[in-house]
Amino acid sequence: MKSLDRQSLEEQTRLVSRYVAGDLSRSERAEFEAWLVASPALANEVEMERRLRRGIASAARRGWLNRSSTRSVMRERRWHVAIAASLIMVLAVGWVMVSPRADHPQTAESRAPAKHAPLVASRTVQLASFRGAGGAPDIELSRASAPGELVLQPEAVVLTCEDGSMEFECPGGGARTTPQYPEYEADVVDRARAALVWRSPRQMPVAGTQLSFALREPGALQPGDYDILVRGHATDHEEIVARFVLRITQ
Amino acid sequence: MSAPPVDEIERIVTAALTGDRQAESRMLIALRPGVLAVLRFGAFHRWVDAEDLTQETLQIVVERVRARTIDDPRKVFAFAAATARNLALNAARKVLRQQTVVDSELVDELAQNMEMEQSDLSEQDDRQLAEAVAALLEELPTERDRQLLMRFYLDGTDKQQLCRELGLSPKHFDRVLMRARSRLRTIIERRAPHLALLPRTLSIFLALATTFTFWVRHFGHW
Repeated sequence: MKSLDRQSLEEQTRLVSRYVAGDLSRSERAEFEAWLVASPALANEVEMERRLRRGIASAARRGWLNRSSTRSVMRERRWHVAIAASLIMVLAVGWVMVSPRADHPQTAESRAPAKHAPLVASRTVQLASFRGAGGAPDIELSRASAPGELVLQPEAVVLTCEDGSMEFECPGGGARTTPQYPEYEADVVDRARAALVWRSPRQMPVAGTQLSFALREPGALQPGDYDILVRGHATDHEEIVARFVLRITQ
Repeated sequence: MSAPPVDEIERIVTAALTGDRQAESRMLIALRPGVLAVLRFGAFHRWVDAEDLTQETLQIVVERVRARTIDDPRKVFAFAAATARNLALNAARKVLRQQTVVDSELVDELAQNMEMEQSDLSEQDDRQLAEAVAALLEELPTERDRQLLMRFYLDGTDKQQLCRELGLSPKHFDRVLMRARSRLRTIIERRAPHLALLPRTLSIFLALATTFTFWVRHFGHW
């Protein structure tokens, strides 16, 4: 435990949310709990963090949270990004027009009309194990503005002890560090036709990193709802460990 | 009643470590809310009686302080937290040994206990809490803060991703959460004070009861 100064207490206060979510490492948790004992103010923060989590979930369950207004902020932000992008584009076009033309074959080649390419090369989506309430899709893409690649990062790996058990503490007092399955893969299934449209290569989970599946050209998918199924594979069986919904719109 | 600041608690514990019995009883009052918090909010809270184990933890802490095997107040805090956690772990193991036969039953048990935790507030309290949070979200100064809370707590969106998308630094993100908690406390105290004040009142009462028990046990009178 560091010295009991105000700055250290503020550092710990920043950890409150992770503590309540159970995301602190052993050493972080031990230090945080020592601070909890020393500081009733920190205990109040933890109490309020729990109330906040519980209250938001309860308000959402009751349909009291208007999520459309939060979307408007995203739209507003997108507008800002769009205006900035337009300015950059105008400047770039202006520069191309005023810059001297070169008849060098390589330059000419670079000015040849490019093939149609998506506006965004890649988009990464982290899919939390705790999904939003209300039945909304986890990812929504329009075909017109779909990225060239959609990288899915689901939180789907459960850690166990080496013997596969899920005790609080593993034999010897260690933490759970072994992924439940040695390999994982993701499927995209068209809901309407109940047909598999894409399957990722299998990948081995790596400690400290999330699974990552890259779906190329999601804009090529037909409009509709798709299930993203994350499957864990063992030698003798397999299991769907997470399911998310992808919506493609026109 | 506001909680004593950290440095005040440190001074009390330092005095208790010198053998000052009055400081010792003040130390018990000062440490109690924190020990209770570790037990109420820690990993095993579903399986333990936090009040009972707080009493047990403080007893062990006092014995250790009197034995003069700890010389630094910060070590007392760490020792109290570790003791509370170990007692909670043992209590949880005991419950699970009694209740669990095979893995599937353990899973059922976990689910059952999580369900119990969800219903630890009455329907009316749950409703009042939801109203307080809805009011908090309504009166946030910027829509961006509102979006941050909704996406962080409801969608489980990662902090890094939110900072990137909303153009916030991690420190700013933390400040938004801290302000939200502080504001929620104010709203709860105004709208449903029992949701905020009951634990504090109970905590003070139990701290006095603990001190009384120790004094009577060790000195024969109050």
